[in-house]
Amino acid sequence: MAYAFDFSAVLEYREALLAGTGRTLMLTGIGAVAGLVLGTAGAVSRAWRLAPFDRIFAVYVELIRNTPFLVQLFFIFFGLPSLGVQMDEWQAAILAVVINLGAYSTEIIRAGIEATPRGQIEAAQSLAMTRRQIFFHVVLPPALAKVWPAICSQVVIVMLGTSVCSQIAAEELTFAANFIQSRNFRAFETYFVVTAMYFLLAVGVRQVLALTGQRLLGRRSK
Amino acid sequence: MSDIELSDIVRNLLGGAAWTLGLSLTAFVLGGLAGLAVLFARIARNPLPRRLAQAYIEVFQGTPLLMQLFIIFFGSSLIGLEIPPWLAAALGLTLFTSAYLGEIWRGCVEAIPKGQWEASASLAMSHVEQMRHVILPQALRIAIAPTVGFSVQVVKGTAVTSIIGFVELTKTGSMLANATFQPFLVFGLVALGYFALCYPLSAYSRMLERKIHGSRAH
Amino acid sequence: MHKRHFLKTLFAAVLLAGGVGAAQADALSSAEKSGVLRIAVPQDFPPFGTVGPDLKPRGYDIDVANLIGREMKLKVELIPVTSTNRIPYLTTGKADLVISSLGKNPDREKVIDFSSAYAPFFNGVFGPGDAAVKTAADTAGKVVGVTRGSVEDLEFSKLAPPTANIKRFEDNNATISAYLSGQVQLVATGNVVAAAVNERSKLRRLETKFLIKNSPCYVGVNKGEAALLGKVNAVIAKLKASGELNQVSQHWLQAPLPADL
Repeated sequence: MAYAFDFSAVLEYREALLAGTGRTLMLTGIGAVAGLVLGTAGAVSRAWRLAPFDRIFAVYVELIRNTPFLVQLFFIFFGLPSLGVQMDEWQAAILAVVINLGAYSTEIIRAGIEATPRGQIEAAQSLAMTRRQIFFHVVLPPALAKVWPAICSQVVIVMLGTSVCSQIAAEELTFAANFIQSRNFRAFETYFVVTAMYFLLAVGVRQVLALTGQRLLGRRSK
Repeated sequence: MSDIELSDIVRNLLGGAAWTLGLSLTAFVLGGLAGLAVLFARIARNPLPRRLAQAYIEVFQGTPLLMQLFIIFFGSSLIGLEIPPWLAAALGLTLFTSAYLGEIWRGCVEAIPKGQWEASASLAMSHVEQMRHVILPQALRIAIAPTVGFSVQVVKGTAVTSIIGFVELTKTGSMLANATFQPFLVFGLVALGYFALCYPLSAYSRMLERKIHGSRAH
Repeated sequence: MHKRHFLKTLFAAVLLAGGVGAAQADALSSAEKSGVLRIAVPQDFPPFGTVGPDLKPRGYDIDVANLIGREMKLKVELIPVTSTNRIPYLTTGKADLVISSLGKNPDREKVIDFSSAYAPFFNGVFGPGDAAVKTAADTAGKVVGVTRGSVEDLEFSKLAPPTANIKRFEDNNATISAYLSGQVQLVATGNVVAAAVNERSKLRRLETKFLIKNSPCYVGVNKGEAALLGKVNAVIAKLKASGELNQVSQHWLQAPLPADL
């Protein structure tokens, strides 16, 4: 029996695919913004040894970077309720994405901060700038510019990783794929189309991030 | 009626962890070899292999590993190849690993100062000789730390193969969570298992990185 | 649109390279030749299929799979599957039979063939004793968990009021875990599944709110495999007549096989 390919059976469900794409982008967007804020806080705590936060962030980074995202997600969604913390699938998915990206960007941004020449900070101190001013005006912008390509890659990795959120019934793009193939039984065609969509998303997200970097951080980032 | 004791859970999870480890090693070794091929294509002088390698990297870095596995697993049987879940998992992870390692290593090769190329060219070395005697030995030294660091991603990537039915640590965990209805305990142990596998690798990679940066400063 | 065209062409090329066009032997004769019958069974769906302390599948479906293998004098290779991937396993030729508490409906009949019924199954909506739900309309505004692609999913999705919040999980394991951890208020599943959960967990009881449909389980066979289907039907008839199927039912469902099955 030869298998007859039928892609039109997938395109009938384009609304589900578009809705899933929107949710995947939303998850990535919220995750990227909140994750980078968290990562910046972690990076400055670690780089400037702000006790006790430097220790807390060190443990957090190791815990997250050394366990799979899927397991973190299961733990938050199925495990935390037994400690009395109840979240719906979106809250759980967003939390998992934020803490995941937060951990990776802590390390990425820290490398950028530590590369700031000592002399620049001393110069800023001699201008009587406060610590806060020094951080936001002197240290952070060039640090972010330096590591922006690494941040872009990490955000794309996180976006692709959100595909496992379908396991806890969050209706993102992979959920749409599994939903469609459970209705039309065209598993291969469905996965093929959705993979192509992820690819386009990855290319698009990368472009948007590169442009954002150029706008916010000047032409130093590529 | 649950007749599954804590000792059964731990014993089965250890068995699953062994599969995770085996799959990670396979993917890392085969992915490393394929990654070398990607590297050489990526830095070739001829633009054709360079473009092909770039497209390969973009496709595998631009799509979820989960989808790659689905396509390999269900797609292969549609073209008449019968592959079991473990082979699909190994193949998928090998491709995934080679795309990332190829790109990491390219960065290391490009980090070698231009002067080294020029100096070796002035000694009338061929491209192959330059690579073999001058560039690669230096690139290798800076490549070790990020390569060990990436191995953590490979170990964690194996978790996704649970979804195509490969019974490794995560799959063992979800089967046990269902048979015992103790998800907090089981997933806690699963997370611990991954941490035990990955933490030594991350710590080692960090140590190597410090060593290199330290020696460079002198 | 260009893109789609390109994909189609790409596929045609891949297919030609793989030589799929060539006629394949029918599943029965290739199974007889290799001496192995590959059967997809559940491992997350008590009492039909779950795992024991040795992580080996066990349950109603596994017993039936082994009985069919015995009658056909073939060695059985059990392939654990989930509700979501059991049909792809069959249609892509990774399994010869699906014995995975598979219900019949017109959509599925377009894709695969079904044997005669081998197990009873009533699906419905279940939840805690204090939830005031008696009909599908009462699920309005409630969060209902269901396993994606199961018969319950397909049937309940038709009945549910638009405001019912249906959460579709990847496998039964996730659906049940979601209920036990309080992530969903109700679940749509089978009556015997609910009974098995109650027997094994004290966390949160599942009581019957309403039944949706009598949806017995069938063995799934690929289209065009008439020889294999005929053989399976003959074996099921024999097991019913000999009372062996009744024993399986007594053991796993604690009830005799219904006379009308």
